[in-house]
Amino acid sequence: MDGTTVVALSTPPGESAIAVVRMSGTGAVDILDRMAGASGPWESHKVYRKILKKADGGPIDEVLVTVMSAPDSYTGEDVVEISCHGSVHIYSSIIEEALYLGAHPAGPGEFTKRAYLKGKIDLTQAEAIADLISAETQLQARVALEQLEGSLSKKIGKIEKRLLEELALLELSIDFSEEDIELCSRDTLRKRSEEITEELKQMIDSEITGKKLRNGIRVTVLGPRNAGKSSIYNALLGEERAIVSAVPGTTRDLLRERIHIGGFTYYLEDTAGIGQTECEIETKGISIGRKAAEGADLILFVIDGSAGWDDESRKEFEKIAGKNHILVLNKKDLGADISCEKYRPKTLSGSAAEVSAKTGEGIQSLRKMIYKKTVRDDAAEIVKERGAVSSRHAAALREAVDAVKGVIAELEGAGAVEIMSLEIREAIEALGKVTGRSVAGELLDLIFSRFCIGK
Amino acid sequence: MIINNPGGKSYDLIVVGGGHAGCEAALASARMGNSTLLATINIRDIARMPCNPAIGGLAKGQLVREIDALGGEMGLCIDAAGIQFKMLNRAKGPAVWSPRAQADKAVYHEKMLEALSSEEGLDIFEGEVEGIAVEEGRVTGVTISGERIRGKKAVLALGTFPNGLMHIGERKIPGGREGEPPSCLLSDDLAANGIERARLKTGTPARLKRSSIDFSRCQEQPGDISPVPFSFRTKKLNLDQISCYITYTNVETHDIIRKNIDRAPLFSGQIMGTGPRYCPSIEDKVIRFSGRDRHQIFLEPEGRGSEEIYINGLSTSLPVDIQEKMIRTVAGLEDSEIVRYGYAIEYDFFPPHQIHASLESRKIEGLYFAGQVNGTSGYEEAAAQGIVAGINASLSLRGEPPFLPGRHQAYAGVMVDDLITKEIDEPYRMFTSRAEHRLLLRQDNADERLFRYAVRYGLLEKGLWSEMISRKKRVMKAKRRLHREVIPAERINSLLENEGAPPATEARKAIQIARRPEIGVEKLEAILDGGGLGLGERELDMLGIEIKYDGYIARQKKMAHKLLKMDKMTIPDGFSFEIEALSREAREKLGRFRPETLGQASRISGVRNSDLSILMIFIEKLKKESKNSGRRGMNFR
Ligand SMILES: Cc1cc2nc3c(=O)[nH]c(=O)nc-3n(C[C@H](O)[C@H](O)[C@H](O)COP(=O)(O)OP(=O)(O)OC[C@H]3O[C@@H](n4cnc5c(N)ncnc54)[C@H](O)[C@@H]3O)c2cc1C
Ligand SMILES: Nc1nc2c(ncn2[C@@H]2O[C@H](COP(=O)(O)OP(=O)(O)O)[C@@H](O)[C@H]2O)c(=O)[nH]1
Ligand SMILES: [Mg+2]
Repeated sequence: MDGTTVVALSTPPGESAIAVVRMSGTGAVDILDRMAGASGPWESHKVYRKILKKADGGPIDEVLVTVMSAPDSYTGEDVVEISCHGSVHIYSSIIEEALYLGAHPAGPGEFTKRAYLKGKIDLTQAEAIADLISAETQLQARVALEQLEGSLSKKIGKIEKRLLEELALLELSIDFSEEDIELCSRDTLRKRSEEITEELKQMIDSEITGKKLRNGIRVTVLGPRNAGKSSIYNALLGEERAIVSAVPGTTRDLLRERIHIGGFTYYLEDTAGIGQTECEIETKGISIGRKAAEGADLILFVIDGSAGWDDESRKEFEKIAGKNHILVLNKKDLGADISCEKYRPKTLSGSAAEVSAKTGEGIQSLRKMIYKKTVRDDAAEIVKERGAVSSRHAAALREAVDAVKGVIAELEGAGAVEIMSLEIREAIEALGKVTGRSVAGELLDLIFSRFCIGK
Repeated sequence: MIINNPGGKSYDLIVVGGGHAGCEAALASARMGNSTLLATINIRDIARMPCNPAIGGLAKGQLVREIDALGGEMGLCIDAAGIQFKMLNRAKGPAVWSPRAQADKAVYHEKMLEALSSEEGLDIFEGEVEGIAVEEGRVTGVTISGERIRGKKAVLALGTFPNGLMHIGERKIPGGREGEPPSCLLSDDLAANGIERARLKTGTPARLKRSSIDFSRCQEQPGDISPVPFSFRTKKLNLDQISCYITYTNVETHDIIRKNIDRAPLFSGQIMGTGPRYCPSIEDKVIRFSGRDRHQIFLEPEGRGSEEIYINGLSTSLPVDIQEKMIRTVAGLEDSEIVRYGYAIEYDFFPPHQIHASLESRKIEGLYFAGQVNGTSGYEEAAAQGIVAGINASLSLRGEPPFLPGRHQAYAGVMVDDLITKEIDEPYRMFTSRAEHRLLLRQDNADERLFRYAVRYGLLEKGLWSEMISRKKRVMKAKRRLHREVIPAERINSLLENEGAPPATEARKAIQIARRPEIGVEKLEAILDGGGLGLGERELDMLGIEIKYDGYIARQKKMAHKLLKMDKMTIPDGFSFEIEALSREAREKLGRFRPETLGQASRISGVRNSDLSILMIFIEKLKKESKNSGRRGMNFR
């Protein structure tokens, strides 16, 4: 962007069938020329087969090369994409060679940043690309894709336009009060402002879901030793990740793995069981587990359903009962009448599940329960329909809502147009933070196009 | 003093054009101690109002206040020449009130001429300037009738005269305005000196004979009961006010226009320049807003004793026979006699991306442009630029930095900033909505905003400034008192009862009561402990505004402060905007407007946030480089 050319591996690192090395900047084609030992001609968006060599003449690999000339490329600059064989040695050699020939290593998100700075994409799209790259589920990818196509910008653009119209009406009554023009009533203004607030609020509401969709949801498995926490953890993962043993105190460290439920990513955490212990490591593990539970979105409190409660477990459970949790009564297969119910602490308000980690009974419904306890029933639907804003967006949207609420308050009070106008300008300003666009110049155009001005 | 022959003389500053811009420029220059020449084609047309007989109006009224606060003449002249005064937008908040007055055009001209003639160091000469003298890229004088007059600086305030061409129907008449010749030589000479020019258009309605109008069929519009003067220096207005009248066009009027639209130069393609959208001709309104079956018309006297009535809202360039027919369909005008016909005028202006914020040409040092020549329209817009140009030329003579009011300081600042950062595709007029910090730029506080400059430059006496400061102090003291004083419920209720409002149940701070729209400061005074606030009328108003906008003014100041940071980041002289990383549109616009600060750059349409980040990076880099290399390759202001 400031004249430098950057290079980076665009596919995940490690061995694979092929790897793609990407360069962007004014020097990209020149570097390619030198590696390919030929100066083009590189027709934009065509694929060429070439053998790349080092400066000392040693061959690197036979590769496929595509040049995307500025401005019709992702970054808006000259972009070169080299598909090579996917060995670490090969792609590293290509990158080293490019660096030797004057390229700089691309920082994280550098290509996207360049695209944004070149005006190829707006801010919401740049963010969407980051989301898309890290998407793990269909749902995440879909929301990111829609944002990339500009659905969020469009939605905000529409609200901006409506605010601008409202502003035009207010300005009309100030700057053209001497004209013979029908002005809009307080009721209409109020209704419009309320609609806009409602819409903004809905977008803000999607932040919580959006955060979960982007950042994942943390579920901590907590409970007494030997209750079968690790067994449940493994059952949910569908693989033997944690060591299961009849020896109490087997798990000492915090384990974390990912699972996907309903399009969302869950970080499942197994902890050391709670109980008196002499072992220093285990004590430490227990406190790590408690700490993890504190920040978790959901706690699975596991007890051995056939054994029932002891004082220690009950005390522990009461501590977390105020948090989002599921009480999991394990070892249903042991047939014990699950008489825990009668020991059940009075404070219990959350849901309970009866499962057997051994037979797998109840695990499926536990998954469903986990989903329900962490995202709204219709979350996936809502997200597909409306998208999900990030925290940065939500902060700006909240500013906008506050400003529009200021308009409504003014309408209920003295109804001073100059103050309402100020609020709306601030709302528009706030929305501009989301898209990075400013609409200041459009106001008078709107007034003149809609109203007959001029006495 | 009027002189007959300036030949062989040498001046500090030469002002070309005795219109609203030129008069203020010349006065400011002379008052700042410069030997000044005002050259104009016709002395009897000095400060003439070729269009509507009024000064002020929405946003324009604020401009007049600013001119006055800078020690200008416009406010004093209209206070003397006004025949009807109104404070517009009174039903709304004080931040958008605007003074306006109907003017006696003849008296206005006389008053201005008086001020000019009695100003020491100011020569007035009747003659047409044909060219400017330029040596080594800097102006050194002007030529009149082939003779060179030397001047260190010059202000061009030529109005609609440069290559003026008037249109009445199919007839085209070269002229600066009705009854006056155009100025063609000077415009061509400027072009030859490399100044880019373009065309704009404006128009004016017909004038009617007062005695031929049936006012009983129109609605009367009197002035304010207690008229407020424009000038901070006028203590009180004493006058008999004259009324205006309102009437309307109708379906019949519109029919006539539609049937003859092919004879309107605007529609036949005869006029090439662009007219203002906010002041369209009647033919424009009828065609563009075909759904409306009437348009409002104001009948305004051109003077106290004048027989001429201006028809506000009926600007036209239709042929004279159609004008006549059309006017006679309007209620009250059935038997009216036209004493002058409406016409449109096309003229050259010099697109203002060619000037600095000081109004000095970027191409020719010491040459300033003010008024219509910068693409604006309106007496007040012109006068405001005139005084700014006059001040800046004088400051430059003193070797001092220019006066550049910010967008948060003055409408004049907003206007100049708009001129140098926006494409002018129609005559530019001031609107309050152009000012993003409107609550700060009120007509009532122009003195607080600008007196200090006027005093510093020697345009106003220091006494006015100290008066203003003590006034402000008294108001702030009263405000603090209202914050402190607590009023028991019974006393509050003695007020609320009268207003029919529900009674208060507990004691409240005085300031809270004052905020209630139905009460306000005046009524509150009666129930204060230890009697009233001891403030004058104007001070009470000021206090009311302080209370009403309390938090909002603070918010705007904060916002203004934030934006100001961008305005403080200067772009070095000669900076190349040929930066590949900029978007194509931004590169093109930046290259054309050549902003001098990042703030200016941010207000150019088509320049995105991303472009600004790039600019910032490059400027920082350049500054670092020139620092490291130890020499100053670039000029940093
Ligand atoms: C037909 C018409 C319609 C208008 N309609 C509107 C309207 O609807 N709304 C509105 O706001 N404004 C309108 N105006 C514009 C308004 O009159 C101007 O904006 C304002 O007067 C500009 O002030 P100025 O000082 O720039 O120039 P002017 O007031 O035009 O003064 C220019 C002066 O320069 C002198 N001059 C020009 N060339 C030379 C030269 N070479 N040598 C010496 N002297 C020279 C002229 O004699 C004149 O005195 C209209 C003007 C006209 C003519
Ligand atoms: N019968 C039966 N045994 C279980 C079940 N879940 C776990 N166990 C056994 O209980 C013991 C402790 O299990 P583990 O998962 O290590 O418990 P943790 O200490 O809570 O992690 C092991 O011997 C498991 O085989 C279950 O559902 N049924
Ligand atoms: Mg375990």
